[in-house]
Amino acid sequence: MGTSGAGKSTLMGLLAGLDQPTSGSITLLDALISEMDDEQRAKIRGESIGFVFQNFLLIPSLTALQNVTLPMVLRGNEDDASNTLKAKQLLDEVGLAGRETHLPTQLSGGEQQRVALARAFVTQPKVLFADEPTGNLDQKTAQHIIELLFKMNKEQGTTLILVTHDANLAKRCERTLIINDGQCQESR
Amino acid sequence: MKSNKMIISWSWREIWFGQLWPVMVALTLIIACVVALSTLALRVEKVMTNQGRTLLAADLVFRSANPIEDTLIEKSLQQGLTVSSQSQFQTMAFSDQKMQLVTVKSVESSYPLRGVLNLENQDKQLQHQVNSGELWLSARLFALLDTKIGDIIAIGDAELTVSGVIKDEPELVYNPFNSIPNLFIHQSDLAKTGAVQVGSRVRHRLFLNGDASALAALQENYQLQAGESWIDQNKQGRTANLIDKAKQYLSLTILMVILMAAVTLILTCLHYARNRSETVSMLKSMGASRTWLRLWLSTQVLIMFVVAFVAGSVLGFLLEFLLRVPLADILPKDLPSVGIQPFLFAIGVALCIGLPALLIPLTRLLDAPAINVIQQQSTTHYSKTSWWLLLLPFTALLVFYGSNKLVWMVLIGLLLLFLFLSVLSYGLLQMLGKLKWRAAFSLALSRINRSPKNSMMQLAALSGSLMLVALIWLIKTDLLGDWQQTLAPDAPNVFALNISPEAQQGYLQQVDKLDLPRSDAFAIIRGRVVGINGQPATDHIAYKNEDVRILKREINFTWAKQLPTYNELIAGQWTGEKTVSVEQKVANDLDITLGDKITFEVNSQTFVATVNSIRAVQWQSMKPNFVFIFSEDVVADLPATWMLSFRAEQAQSELVNQLAREYPTVSLLDFRTMGNKIQSLLRQISWSLTGLASLGVVSGILLIFTLLRLSLSERTREITLYRTLGASKKRISHTLWAEYGLLAISAGLVAAIAAELILFSLMKWGFQLPTQLHPSMWLILPLLAVLIVFLSLSSVIKRLLKPLR
Repeated sequence: MGTSGAGKSTLMGLLAGLDQPTSGSITLLDALISEMDDEQRAKIRGESIGFVFQNFLLIPSLTALQNVTLPMVLRGNEDDASNTLKAKQLLDEVGLAGRETHLPTQLSGGEQQRVALARAFVTQPKVLFADEPTGNLDQKTAQHIIELLFKMNKEQGTTLILVTHDANLAKRCERTLIINDGQCQESR
Repeated sequence: MKSNKMIISWSWREIWFGQLWPVMVALTLIIACVVALSTLALRVEKVMTNQGRTLLAADLVFRSANPIEDTLIEKSLQQGLTVSSQSQFQTMAFSDQKMQLVTVKSVESSYPLRGVLNLENQDKQLQHQVNSGELWLSARLFALLDTKIGDIIAIGDAELTVSGVIKDEPELVYNPFNSIPNLFIHQSDLAKTGAVQVGSRVRHRLFLNGDASALAALQENYQLQAGESWIDQNKQGRTANLIDKAKQYLSLTILMVILMAAVTLILTCLHYARNRSETVSMLKSMGASRTWLRLWLSTQVLIMFVVAFVAGSVLGFLLEFLLRVPLADILPKDLPSVGIQPFLFAIGVALCIGLPALLIPLTRLLDAPAINVIQQQSTTHYSKTSWWLLLLPFTALLVFYGSNKLVWMVLIGLLLLFLFLSVLSYGLLQMLGKLKWRAAFSLALSRINRSPKNSMMQLAALSGSLMLVALIWLIKTDLLGDWQQTLAPDAPNVFALNISPEAQQGYLQQVDKLDLPRSDAFAIIRGRVVGINGQPATDHIAYKNEDVRILKREINFTWAKQLPTYNELIAGQWTGEKTVSVEQKVANDLDITLGDKITFEVNSQTFVATVNSIRAVQWQSMKPNFVFIFSEDVVADLPATWMLSFRAEQAQSELVNQLAREYPTVSLLDFRTMGNKIQSLLRQISWSLTGLASLGVVSGILLIFTLLRLSLSERTREITLYRTLGASKKRISHTLWAEYGLLAISAGLVAAIAAELILFSLMKWGFQLPTQLHPSMWLILPLLAVLIVFLSLSSVIKRLLKPLR
């Protein structure tokens, strides 16, 4: 948690290996990612990390189903049938059965974020980073997405790292870190 | 494999839904235009070459003042060439009653190697070659010699029986002064005439047919001596002039359409790259490697090139067919095939422009940082390694257009103009921004001035396309206008030559009485140029130039009290005594300037005249024209005959015949049939050019439309923001109208200035035609720009103003 500009997103970018620190070192899943180049970090992200973004970031030219199978394709997993099956199961789970062939523009904000959730879990990541996942949604839809997120997280046994403003949401997590002016501190 | 299939199907979707389709349309357009226009150009060129060769009577002609050496003939035969020789001289022909100066063409039975020779004998039967012992006369000679088929004519020492009349012959010279009638004899009878002696003026020609490479090799290995030269269809001078300019126009239009399509290509690619950088960042965050991204992007590029090539080729093929429809009567039935050359050329052009336009922004896209998905970086370092791709179009330009003056003029002109105009319009908009305006205008101005780089690019693209559209249309109009003028429907079509000084007044009165519109009468004095500024002509540098023949031949001089009104004065003034006015091309060839003193010789009598003026002459105009026009005092006393030209309609043949009967010594050259042919040729070429220009204009306008829609769709986010902040629909649409309206008007004005300047230089130095201003364009271009803006804005404004979701 933290106020705007406190450095939440910067920290998350570093933790997920999206960015490089100017000094110090970062170890993720036993790998010293601060010493790796772009390509090596991309490989780690593809294999063990998932993301849920505030603005969903679906590919507008791909259908819901194709958006979900995309991480598998990027991984080089070429078994089309099993990818599709898995993606369909996940879409079913988030309540989008029957809307597989819809394009993102044909879906509402909440529906888009549900596709993004399915996409995040399709690779069974070890760590899932969620950056204000409900920031762009109304309260009711947000509540629904959060329930889904925690449910799927529990089923798959993923480590969830959540960035949020919402204190109630933070309470549902096992640990809460408050970041303020670049300083990090355990809450409670 | 599966993931490749997925990449391919995804690439398809990216192309159609991801704003890459304008890129593909631009690529397709480039290919279609290049295929269509270069096919047409190639075909016309081949047809022209064939016609040129028909006129020459061969593929190549060797011309010499001396008998053709046997070694040259042997060498030609060794190269596998077909040869035929001809000797030509002027002599007197005598019938029982009369005598006449004639041009004798002594040919072999194999003559002509190209084109048709039609000879008609007493029984009205046609034959196509000259045999030993035969004598064929041109139609005019029967009257001049008062003779008929079967009579005996003496030519030099030989006496030959007239075999018949020449109906059609190749080697026709379109020169009204070449009024000496000709006849054909066979080479085996040449010796009998006794005409070929040491010192006699016999011109020899060797006609050659065969492979282009063998012909070139022969020319290459032969050292030309004084008095020798090669003639091929490219040296056919004035007759080819018209088609030549049409061809230049064709290649200019190709260039301009390519330029416009290239602008669209570049802008749409940039737009695409900007829009897709977020997607690339996202793919990277999900673990996409550079290799994968490269595969993804290059699949898109490959698909676009393949589709554009197939669609463009088909479209180009159809387009060429359409462009050919109005030309059907000029082009022969069996068109020369053009092979795959236009298609290869089109691929080359598309690659040269498309690769840098696509790959530079797309490679930059690869550098979009993954961190952008959660935090937009303020600065990103993009690699500039792919900029070397820019070398591609420039190298190609140097290789293919290195020597084409017109193309370079257009390109350099464009570049300089844009530098100048963008500074100008930027300053103007800045200045406007400082003044007080109504809210919509000041918002619009601040928006334009806030992102000057973007606005400038839009302005440049818009005004550039508008300017090219204007150029395509105006060059066509100016060219056609010039042709219509030189070959006006009331242009003279009959020449009267050899009018004796005593008969001159009577003849003029008679022509006037018959109500035939006529030119002034001009004296004709035959003579030579023998010296320039005291230096003998034979020592002049131009004497050795085989393309400059003015110092080596007899010329028709005339004198006048005033210069003909249809000659444009380029330099100097028509004044004084002992002066001469010179035609500008000859003045150029001989390096003559005002004040130079030229020595002339007429009937072994020499005299000097000072150059007082330089004139531009339109030789095709069918009006009496002269290289040298003297002031009266220089040549008026020299023996002269008179000439004039007049206009007679087809139905007025009886009047022309009447003139011929009343003045039997005056030679009448009737170009009425030929004039009509040229008129219809012109009409057909005009149709074709108009079709071409319309196509260019329409595609240009479509491209501008695409550009505007692109730029508007980029504004969606900003407009949504204004709506959120509570701006009324009215305010937003007024601001948009004001912004794009200002852009359109300034682009239209900039385009008008640029088009006028480029047109001026193209006409003056490129096509060498008179220049003029185009005031209507100054109004039409801004209006057209506003109209296009209106259309594109109203097509998207509803979507832009949709309420927030």
